[in-house]
Amino acid sequence: MKLKTQQHGGARTGAGRKVNSGKFKEDTKVMRIPSSLVDRVKSTLELYKSQLKADVQVQIPAYDASSVLLPIFTSRVQAGFPSPADDHLEDTLDLNKQLIQHQEATFFVRAQGDSMLGAGIHQGDILIVDKALVAKSGRIVIAVIDGEFTVKRLHKYKGVITLKAENPEFKDILIKEGSELIIWGVVTSVIHQYL
Amino acid sequence: MAKFALVDCNNFYASCERVFEPKLEHKAIVVLSNNDGCIIARSNEAKAFGIKMGEPYFKVKELLNDKSIVVKSSNYPLYGDMSSRVMKIISQYSPVQEVYSIDESFIDLSGFSMNLNSYMQTLKQQVKTWTGIPVCVGLGSTKLRAKLANHIAKIYPRFDGVFDIDKLSEHRFEKLLHSLEVKELWGIGKKSADRLNRVNINTALDFYQADIGIIETLLGVNGKRLYRELYGHSCLQIEQISPPRRQIVSSRSFGSELSDYQDVNQALSTLARQAVIKMKRQSLATTSVSVFIQTNPFSRYSSCISLSKTIGMSVPVSDESILIPLVSKTLEQMYESGYQFYKGGVMLSNLTPDKSQQDLFTQESKTSKFYSQHPYGNLIQYASELGNNKWRSKADFISDRYTTNWNELLSI
Repeated sequence: MKLKTQQHGGARTGAGRKVNSGKFKEDTKVMRIPSSLVDRVKSTLELYKSQLKADVQVQIPAYDASSVLLPIFTSRVQAGFPSPADDHLEDTLDLNKQLIQHQEATFFVRAQGDSMLGAGIHQGDILIVDKALVAKSGRIVIAVIDGEFTVKRLHKYKGVITLKAENPEFKDILIKEGSELIIWGVVTSVIHQYL
Repeated sequence: MAKFALVDCNNFYASCERVFEPKLEHKAIVVLSNNDGCIIARSNEAKAFGIKMGEPYFKVKELLNDKSIVVKSSNYPLYGDMSSRVMKIISQYSPVQEVYSIDESFIDLSGFSMNLNSYMQTLKQQVKTWTGIPVCVGLGSTKLRAKLANHIAKIYPRFDGVFDIDKLSEHRFEKLLHSLEVKELWGIGKKSADRLNRVNINTALDFYQADIGIIETLLGVNGKRLYRELYGHSCLQIEQISPPRRQIVSSRSFGSELSDYQDVNQALSTLARQAVIKMKRQSLATTSVSVFIQTNPFSRYSSCISLSKTIGMSVPVSDESILIPLVSKTLEQMYESGYQFYKGGVMLSNLTPDKSQQDLFTQESKTSKFYSQHPYGNLIQYASELGNNKWRSKADFISDRYTTNWNELLSI
């Protein structure tokens, strides 16, 4: 009796999944992972997959396995006697809070010239200017006359408005009727830095 | 009934310049884009001279000169600071605020029982005295109607900067819509307008009187929403939290055309840092970095080329000590010499919240630790960021950063 070569069944060449046609386009391995790390490994794999799919060149950071330490417990338990000052903690002093009343309306300006020397404003000082404050008589103001800025003390008396310099070498500015005066802001403090 | 207000700064960039240069009041001002390329903002006086938005600067240079129009380079540190001041003041007037753009903000006034007109007059006055910036307020039962109302408040001085569109009679409302082209409606872009024009919907009134079915067929659900908003049914809610960014792009036209690899590298390294700073400010991290450079497509003398490359990472990264060298390396791989590059940029996409979660496969590099922990860490630059600064854009007419730099304070 002649043995007939089998024509049906069995493995056919070319059948099945093509080599490296999977999601990762390379050989894969089966491996056990601690349950607590499954999510992390999964998310890393998902990301890797999406990048392969988008045909983006993926950089795998080179690392030396021996030097990778995973600090899982990072919080330390403090021992020792608690500080007796803990109950008396107060806010630290904040100059912004002390010097600035309306944050959105406050601008810093650099002083030029000596016309306000008598009020303690020196060349190069920083003026803190609050635009929200009302320009009452007697306050130091930033004024705009004919489009130019000036720092002077504002005086209002019986309808006459004067901008007074605080230095005998400078003349006061009398605001005549018809000329335009804009009060840009009120000076609340001056910062004079020695160093 | 719902009630919204849109607060919009008048000619915001020009107004910012005027706060610190009062002599520019009543003068015509234009503000140029990055690199002094084209006109991106105009004062009313400049508009009256017929200067168009987006016009290239070199084309109108002579006209600007003839009419002695003041030209300013854009000063974003100043505009940004003034904007945040204005927005903070507006936020005092309602618990629900949406900062819609650098100079516009919606607030929700639903259920407010006071006289809204005078309430908004107070807001307008406060913004003006506190910051020096003039604003107009539009009131309406929907965001779209508030936007329309703002348009009217701007055009007609007799309303003194505050206008409530719900007080308009139906007849006057239709007359107003008739005066507007449909593309001027908020939310109707050029493509939508083209589609509407094809079926003879040309004015806002045509849109208003069209059948809702037609609008939905042409523009989909978004168009339907706008249509309903116009009729006073509020469909668009205030978005208090801006939706998270999908990508961060930092790109620039270079000040001059760059043919040297080192120059391009400096530009892109610096742009990479800017992108990383933007990303970190929003506590995001990226897994995909794209680098692109291109030559001037309008140049007649040299050949055109546009190069780009994207690199993915196995874990989200927010660390400049990884990203900046990566950008340099990517550039090195894709760079082709012999071209004049005029524009380039870095894009960070695939953004995820930066939880700085300990990753299994990487460890924090020593450099990044140094950056974040050493007091002067943030002063350190990569060598690739240094160079001749040839790429930096032109800003020949820039005013000082009065509010954000101690060395550039207003001098009085």
